[in-house]
Amino acid sequence: MKRLFGMLLVIAAVLGGLVGLFAVFYLAAGWAAGLFAGWGLPAFYGSAIVNTLTLMLVVVMVTASLLTVAERKWSAAMQDRIGANRILVFGSALGGVPYLLADALKMLTKEATYPAARSWILFEMAPVQAFASTFMLFAVVPVGPDIEVLGQKVALMVANPDVGLLWIFALASLAVYGTTLAGWASNNRAAMLGGVRGASQMISYEVSLGLALVGVMIAYRTLNLQEMTIAQGASVLGPMPAIGLLLQPIGFLVFFASAFAETKRAPFDLPEGESEIVGYFMEYSGMKFGMLFLAEFVEVVVLSGVVVAVFLGGWHPILFEGWLRTHLHPLAFGAVGATAFMAKVVVLCWLQLTIRWLLPRFRFDQIQGLCWKLLLPTALLNIFVTGAAVLLDPSLKLLAWIGVAEIVAIFGVTTAVSRAPAQASGHGGHGHGHPAHAAGH
Amino acid sequence: MPYQLDNPPLDAREKLYFPEIFRAIGLVARTFFRNAFFSRDTNPDILERDQRLNRITTLAYPEEKAPYPSAYRGLHRLVPRVDGSPRCVACYMCATACPAQCIYIEAAEVPDDPIEKYPKKFVIDELRCVVCGFCVEACPKDAIRMDTGEHAPPTYTREAQVLDEKQLLRGPPVSYDHDPWLRRDSRLPARDLERMRDLARPFAQDATDEASQTPGFSVRALASEARAAAGAPDAGKLASRKS
Repeated sequence: MKRLFGMLLVIAAVLGGLVGLFAVFYLAAGWAAGLFAGWGLPAFYGSAIVNTLTLMLVVVMVTASLLTVAERKWSAAMQDRIGANRILVFGSALGGVPYLLADALKMLTKEATYPAARSWILFEMAPVQAFASTFMLFAVVPVGPDIEVLGQKVALMVANPDVGLLWIFALASLAVYGTTLAGWASNNRAAMLGGVRGASQMISYEVSLGLALVGVMIAYRTLNLQEMTIAQGASVLGPMPAIGLLLQPIGFLVFFASAFAETKRAPFDLPEGESEIVGYFMEYSGMKFGMLFLAEFVEVVVLSGVVVAVFLGGWHPILFEGWLRTHLHPLAFGAVGATAFMAKVVVLCWLQLTIRWLLPRFRFDQIQGLCWKLLLPTALLNIFVTGAAVLLDPSLKLLAWIGVAEIVAIFGVTTAVSRAPAQASGHGGHGHGHPAHAAGH
Repeated sequence: MPYQLDNPPLDAREKLYFPEIFRAIGLVARTFFRNAFFSRDTNPDILERDQRLNRITTLAYPEEKAPYPSAYRGLHRLVPRVDGSPRCVACYMCATACPAQCIYIEAAEVPDDPIEKYPKKFVIDELRCVVCGFCVEACPKDAIRMDTGEHAPPTYTREAQVLDEKQLLRGPPVSYDHDPWLRRDSRLPARDLERMRDLARPFAQDATDEASQTPGFSVRALASEARAAAGAPDAGKLASRKS
């Protein structure tokens, strides 16, 4: 019980700290916007520069590096283990967080070795490519709402282009190059195989990734992620907000699965395949490996961010939103919204790590089969259904009802137990020998 | 016969793949929250742990140690007398019995005593020791025991594994009523002698008896237990042969 209260206290403290942190970020963005406006430059430049520093370098980087620790500790909890706890700070393991510093120190001070026959420009470029393109994805993700701070209208997002989702598709495709180049430039058979696997897998999933979001584009009639998030605050079906998960549950599933394939993590970790080919980063050492390794976690955070912005209501706190909006100072509301966004991101990161530790790796033909035979047709069907529903009823009510029906159907199929009780009786029935039993099928 | 795996074909719901994943996520999530949000029982006896909430069965080793069985042959110790000097009389029995030749003894005479010797140096190389326990069996004075319950500690140098008489002399003191230094005129102060006589107990004839070995461990008790477990016929046969 003591630990339960402690954990809840830590969670509450982290959430409170995040509210304060995001309030500071808002103030910094507003201050910089005012500064640039004073110089006669567009005010947006100032907030964009500050947001690049605060959101991308602080929020994404810190979350991604904490995920490296979280992967160890959370997987341990899932497997009834304790996890990393040998670095003690004043007698406390601090949840394994000091391992972050130890890992960073190790990566930075390790000897960098290079394969002699590498293609050296590409070899140096690949980690940067892998890291930068996933990083840039986050530029269009709205972390907080548009509010007035210090006389300037700022939002916690780096850039707000109207082509938001297209930017995501473009840069998600670019991320493939990091993997492929790393595999190719190493001049190593196993690494090359990993790179090629990565390329084919990610190009396949690019298709369903894009198609899964078409339904959302139809429903919200925009590509801009900030507008999409605002549209998710409107109510549909009484008090229920029109979040993407309600309108597009199938789209959410397809997008999440495809995003998973994009992160190159288990069960889609064929490019790495530690047990057979080591992976595309086989020849990398030191911080170059660290960048490829960290890029994976950055990708987890960024794709969680995209999923939250598109499907889970973005920075809408959802609970008590009306009360918060009327009773709080706009700055405080913005900070609370950004904290809600981060909380959702962390939950999704947790879900991704759970699935990563849950499922074994797919075989290559199974990966391609899942993409082309299951996800792609489902995504196409989803587009047709969404299009028809929006055409018949532009108020999204029909679409919401279809979404509810889909959720209920998924829930029903999941909870319907067809096999578990049969296990006991199944064992009694193989008196006639097993090979014959198998051949009968 | 090897275990036969029942591997029936997938039904329609399982072929969808996703519902089964959702169920599995639920399962893993439950395990995660139990283990992450509730404290772990640190009882070194894992089977006795309270696993209603937290299911972790890890023994976090240096902090939580599983108790060794009572017959465990741990690190040697030189048994002290009540006054703190070693019981050892430097007779070289243990060094002679040692198959690994890891015991080195240098004897010296007790200054004001006509007969008695003591070990000026008593060194055991724990790296050479094969932990056979022969030294304990050989000792006529019950002066060396392996009842510390510790194994040789890890060290950074080989030299640190060579224990001398200062490191070996530790643990609870022991006295027996036939100890010669209690019976004859002794160099010991009268008060110490009195205490030692009070603590003295009869010396066991058998080196593996519970009186001279680790408390709770008895070869005789185990043997009689085994005989009882084997059943009455054996005991009966023995009895009939005797009669």
